[in-house]
Amino acid sequence: MSRHASGPPHQRDGETAGGELRAEDVSFAYLGAPRAALRHVDLGVAPGEVVLLTGASGCGKSTLALALCGLIPSRVHGELRGRVTFAGEALSGLPPHKTSQLVGMVFQNPNQQLISQTVESEVAFGPENLALPQPEIAGRVDWCLDVTGMGGLRRAAVVTLSGGQKQRTAIAATLAMRPRVLVLDEPLSDLDPVGAQEVLGTLRRLAQDERAGVVIIEHRVDEVAPWADRVVLMDGGRVVLDQPPRAAWSDGAPWLAAGAGVPDMVRLAHDVPGAFPAGPALSVDEAVEATRGTWFAAALAAAAADRVRARPDRTGAAPAGRLAPPLLSWEHVSVTFDGNRAVDDVTLSVGEGEWVALIGANGSGKSTLTGLAVGLGKPGAGTVAFRGRPVRPGRVFEHAAEVALLLQAADEMLFAETVRGELEFGLRFRAPPASPVLDLAGAVEFFGFDGLEHHSPWELSQGGRQRLALAALLVGAPGVLVLDEPTTGQDADHMRAFLRLLTRIRSYTGLTVITVTHDIRGLASRAARVVLLGEGRVRMDGPASQVFAHPRELARWGVLAPPLARLQTGLLGAAAGDVLLTVEDVAAAALAHRPAARNGVPA
Amino acid sequence: MMQSLLARTVISYLLVFVVPLLLPVVFIKLVGLGGLRELVTYEAGDTPLHRLDPRLKVLYPVAMGVLSILLSWTLMLAVFALSILPWLWLRPSRQRIRVLMVMVIGPALAGFWSQGMYYLPPPPVHFLYQFPWTISWLGSPGITSYGMIFGLEQSARVLVTVSTSMLILVTTDVGDFTWAFERFRAPPQVGFALTAALRFLPEVISRTTLVLRAVELRGYDLSRPRWFQAGAWPDYIRRVAHCAVLITVPLLVGALRGTATMAMVADARGFGVSRTRGSLRVHKRTATDVWGYVILAALVIGALVLNHLHIGARQY
Repeated sequence: MSRHASGPPHQRDGETAGGELRAEDVSFAYLGAPRAALRHVDLGVAPGEVVLLTGASGCGKSTLALALCGLIPSRVHGELRGRVTFAGEALSGLPPHKTSQLVGMVFQNPNQQLISQTVESEVAFGPENLALPQPEIAGRVDWCLDVTGMGGLRRAAVVTLSGGQKQRTAIAATLAMRPRVLVLDEPLSDLDPVGAQEVLGTLRRLAQDERAGVVIIEHRVDEVAPWADRVVLMDGGRVVLDQPPRAAWSDGAPWLAAGAGVPDMVRLAHDVPGAFPAGPALSVDEAVEATRGTWFAAALAAAAADRVRARPDRTGAAPAGRLAPPLLSWEHVSVTFDGNRAVDDVTLSVGEGEWVALIGANGSGKSTLTGLAVGLGKPGAGTVAFRGRPVRPGRVFEHAAEVALLLQAADEMLFAETVRGELEFGLRFRAPPASPVLDLAGAVEFFGFDGLEHHSPWELSQGGRQRLALAALLVGAPGVLVLDEPTTGQDADHMRAFLRLLTRIRSYTGLTVITVTHDIRGLASRAARVVLLGEGRVRMDGPASQVFAHPRELARWGVLAPPLARLQTGLLGAAAGDVLLTVEDVAAAALAHRPAARNGVPA
Repeated sequence: MMQSLLARTVISYLLVFVVPLLLPVVFIKLVGLGGLRELVTYEAGDTPLHRLDPRLKVLYPVAMGVLSILLSWTLMLAVFALSILPWLWLRPSRQRIRVLMVMVIGPALAGFWSQGMYYLPPPPVHFLYQFPWTISWLGSPGITSYGMIFGLEQSARVLVTVSTSMLILVTTDVGDFTWAFERFRAPPQVGFALTAALRFLPEVISRTTLVLRAVELRGYDLSRPRWFQAGAWPDYIRRVAHCAVLITVPLLVGALRGTATMAMVADARGFGVSRTRGSLRVHKRTATDVWGYVILAALVIGALVLNHLHIGARQY
């Protein structure tokens, strides 16, 4: 094998060059598990191919990834049948360092897989272990950092990197082993949409330029589908669909059955027959090109004009949330960390019963701002108040009774031995509230924990544990519920279920809800009001339909507008007015203004 | 009045308990759990200290430790000053200086105070303050200047090693440590263990901080009483102790998950497959390095010679 000091890792001679990764009739059951996690899986990944592997949580995606990388059975024990091969050679019997030079794995949480202190040390770690000569190691490091766009940060300490930078460092470190195929387990879960596009662009380049096979395990199908060559859907440990993206969503039934996501553009094509004559589009750009000048665009324009006419005159109206005395308010608040302004002179108020989504790129100050509402952190300037009373920094115990904050890592909020103990936890340390949002029995019933009261919280699914943490917060009398990235890493079914749950909670309790989220398409689009933060300042504040009608302004602050909003503004520009944010609404608007059909084809 | 048993008892209790009560408060106020990260976090930079030969950096705290053991108290002061000098060269951030100062002065004060009470010179003993019988249950007859100086001396000896080790941790990438250990023919596992510890200690501290926040968000009262609310402190200590039990499960679950992933990553990156390791780094010995080696060697040899000649040697 020839080695190029500064060359890419995929230019190899020898028998493995251009090989295909194959799973052949692979079944696997974890040690002691009652059911198999994988059942008769057949899958191939060709050089230069990008495969999107998706499915509901627990369907076996991550297990398949471990099998493809040879970590099953060498490091994860259980009963394996069938075999995984690369260029005809079985991976099952190879030690991990051999398989990692054929198939590299990037795990979900970059924090747990970055071992070294600086970026270049991390990338060099693998080649150093292989005892390669220094010029070879240096060449690989240079190339990997270059291809992942991390060259400028090579001497940066890992702890100072953003989520996207850590993810790209993890990819670079895996690439340094010169794998022929990269398998990435939910690489986008902690990234904002712009960071996600950067990572996807890197992966596409690897596939195109270096002929690397890439397997992306991801729930965020809307974002990955345009970059994929094939889509694989798993359900119950089996591969139930394996097709090119355009054909993959031609039939919605398997997706519905598997509880997996369908891109909005595809759903729109199904709901508005004839809107996409050449078949469903996968990306917004493609959808805009396909429908520009068609009856569909004209129908959307007519619907937008109707909305503008029907819109009440808002001249002189107070912005949302300021009509009544605010429930929660930030007045000229600034917070500085290590000389950097995380929050910069923010004035914001949230009224009783509002649902506000706080959006912005990673590091825009969203979590810092909401943390202040419960006494986490101290503002360098300004005041935070709940019902007009100042929030005292550090008095989290006091303020948590009024402002319930559900952390992104809900697992970290569980401390009791049983579900019931968890619900009672808060009541053990403070006087029972006079008028709780939910009482104990009500919470058990409302959140579906009947019969599970004496089970350990750790016996629940991830979604169940999140529901439990939320229920435990509501068994009190909070006036505001703050949810920090509640839908991160959740599949489409769980996300829908969570949105339904949140809607039910609001209609049942009338609670004020603030969601901090990157989930622009799902969670933010459902909120009545959206506040965009950029570099610590409020950049936009208004109804979701208005904020998302400004994709350029959003992009400026690192936020990608929802696909449906981009479609409408892409087709209509400023005439789109207040955009529609659900597939159902867009489809209804288009169908309502559809011209009369001639011979079954719209005029 | 001041010589009455009551007054002497009150003064004695104050003298005995003021330091152990003060130190945790100072630590929480000025450092906190999050501040501990500053002690072990590598500060990327391109200073002459960063560029020194990693082998020299590994030897530096060892050599200074040897000096602190061998030399007398007077010479120890010079060694202590010598260990502080490189910090002036490095110019660390104000936050790091604050943490370092607390971590240096705290143990020094604790040593100074405890030895002052419990280290008794041979008779006749001259007490700075003699405790009355009402406090005899603590086992200390009083505070002696001899004990305090002895405490200061012992603290300074420890602090020389602590200060030099911290300086090296702050200015040396772990990869360089691993490289140096390999050149000293230490097993690669030693370097890896150090790497993992230094990389993940800040993560553990961050996670602990997060879980402590979560406990409070769930309604657990971790608010500290004011220093003068003496009656509230026992309850606060009880709550903190109970909290330590509460947070163990989420911390353990998280740590086990993370460790399993890290082990798989280390395997996948080929750790341990070869008896020797390559290195990205090329360390060419510079004139500064040579001077560093010469100075260290001269210091250690000088101390050994002095010790042999019973000049400036430590008295036991």
